[in-house]
Amino acid sequence: MDINNKDLHKKGALYSSSAVRPTAATLDMFPSWPLRFQHLTSTRISSIGEEESTDSGSAVNTASPSSYSDHRLRRPPPPQMDAGISADGSQPPKQIPEKRRGPGSNSDKVLDAKTMRRLAQNREAARKSRLRKKAYVQQLESSRIRLSQLEQDLLRARSQGLFLGGVGVTGANISSGGAIFDMEYARWLDDDHRHMSELRAALQAHLSDSDLRVIADGYIAHYDEIFRLKGVAAKTDVFHLITGMWASPAERCFLWMGGFRPSDLIKMLIAQLDPLTEQQIMGIYGLQQSSQQAEEALTQGLEQLQQSLIDTIANSSIDDSMHHMALALGKLANLEGFVRQADNLRQQMLHQLRRILTVRQAARCFLVIGEYYGRLRALSSLWASRPRDQAMMGDENSCQTSTDLQMAQQQQQQSSRSHFSNF
Amino acid sequence: MQYQSEAQSYYSSAAAAVGGGGGAATADPYESVLRLASGSAVVIFSVSTCCMCHAVKRLFCGMGVNPTVYELDQDPRGDEIELALSRMLGGGSAVPVVFIGGKLVGAMERVMASHINGTLVPLLKEAGALWL
Repeated sequence: MDINNKDLHKKGALYSSSAVRPTAATLDMFPSWPLRFQHLTSTRISSIGEEESTDSGSAVNTASPSSYSDHRLRRPPPPQMDAGISADGSQPPKQIPEKRRGPGSNSDKVLDAKTMRRLAQNREAARKSRLRKKAYVQQLESSRIRLSQLEQDLLRARSQGLFLGGVGVTGANISSGGAIFDMEYARWLDDDHRHMSELRAALQAHLSDSDLRVIADGYIAHYDEIFRLKGVAAKTDVFHLITGMWASPAERCFLWMGGFRPSDLIKMLIAQLDPLTEQQIMGIYGLQQSSQQAEEALTQGLEQLQQSLIDTIANSSIDDSMHHMALALGKLANLEGFVRQADNLRQQMLHQLRRILTVRQAARCFLVIGEYYGRLRALSSLWASRPRDQAMMGDENSCQTSTDLQMAQQQQQQSSRSHFSNF
Repeated sequence: MQYQSEAQSYYSSAAAAVGGGGGAATADPYESVLRLASGSAVVIFSVSTCCMCHAVKRLFCGMGVNPTVYELDQDPRGDEIELALSRMLGGGSAVPVVFIGGKLVGAMERVMASHINGTLVPLLKEAGALWL
C-alpha cells in the first residue's frame, strides 16, 4: 500500500513539472504511463495525442483538438518545440539530443536531424507495434469468449440429448460420465484437426520416411487415446456411448455398437489407397473379411443380450418384478463388454492397417480417414443449420433453400479447401 | 454350422476325467482344463446364458470351424473349472475362454485381436480345425 502511494506521488510530481496543457492533463488519467517516457512527454505530445485516440477512444481527441494542432505545427524543429512547449523550461526536451548523441556524430545540427529522424521512426514503430499488439489482444479476447460460449453450447446440447430419454435428469447430472466424455471428445476433435494439418503438411513437404513414421504413429496413438476414453466412459454411461449421443447426427446414422463399423471404413478406404502391392491388397481384403466376421459375431452376441433382456422385462409377474428388475440390471451390465469389444475391434483394425501399409501410404490413409469423418461432421452441421420453413412454403422457396445450402456448402468447402487434399 | 451339444461335452469331460487316471472329483482343476483343452482342436469354455460366449461361438462357426464347447453352468465341476480359468487369465471373467491346439489363446479380446492381425487362421489350420 505504501509503495503504491509513493509511486503515485513520484509520477504526480513529474506530471506537474511538465507543462500543464489539456493533453498533459489527460495524461494524468493514465498514471501507469512508464517513467522512461516522462522526459519524452513534451516532444511526443502530438504523437501521443494520436495514440491516445486509438487507445482510449474519443475522449482525448474531443478534449483538445486545438492544442493538438498547435503542437503538430511546432513539431519539426526542436528549438521551436523547446520554446513553445516547455513554458516552465523543463529540461527533458533539451536533454534528448544530448542523450541520443551516438558515436561518430559531429555537429549538433547534423545530430539533431539524424536524431529527429531516428526518433520519429522509433515513434512510428512503437505506435505500429502498440496497434498490432492491441489488435492481437482483442482477437485473443474475442476468441476466448467465443470458445467458452461454444463449450457451454456443446455441453447444453449434449445434456439435452440426455434429457430426451424422458427420464428426469437433473441439472446436477451435467457432470455425468456422458457430459465429461463429450468434453473430452471435443478436445480430441481439436487434436484430430491438428493431426490432420500435420499429416497434410508432412505429405506435401515430402518428409523422410522416419519423420513421417513419427507422425503416422502419432495418429495411431491419437486413436488409441479416444478408445481409452471411451472405455472409461463405458463404465459410467454406456447408453451415452451406444446410442451415439456423443457423435454428430450423420455419424450416428451409420453407428455400429457405439462407433464406426470397421469393415465400412475399409470399404471406403480400398478405393483411396491405390497403388497397393499384391500382398497389400490381399492383406486389406483379409482385414475386411476378418472385421466383418468379428462384427457379425459381436452383433449376434448383442442380439442375444437384447432378447434376453426383453424376456426378463416382459415376463415379470407382479410378485417377481423387483427380482426381474435386478436380473435385467445384471444383463444390462453386459452392454459395457460389447462396447469395449467393438472399440477393441476398431483399434485392432487401425493397427493392422498401419502394419500392412508403408509409412507414406499410412499417412495418406489416415488423412483420408480424418477428412472423411470431418465431412460427415460438416454435413451434420449444414443439415442442422438448414432453413426449416420448407414445409410451410411452396416449391419456389425450396429452390431457395437448396441454393442457400449450396452456398453454405461452397463456403464450407472454401474454408476447408485445404482439407480436401490432393494425393 | 454346428457345435458340440451339452451331452457330448459332458461325455467328453467324463471320459477325460476317467482317462486322466484319477477320480474325477479329486483331479486338479488346472489339469482338467488342460486335459479338456487338448481333447479337441478348438475348445471353448462357456456359460450357456453368457452373451459374449454366444458371440465367440458365432465367430468360430462363421469361419467354418467346429469348436468343442463346455458349458460350465451345466457341468458338475463347472465352478472349479471357472475358478481355474479365471486364475489362468489373470482375473476378470472366466468365460469365454478359447484353447486352440491345446494351447490357451485367451478371452474374447485376445481372440478378436488375433483374428484381425491374421494370426488366428494359421493357428486354426495348424491345429487342423480349418482347411483351405
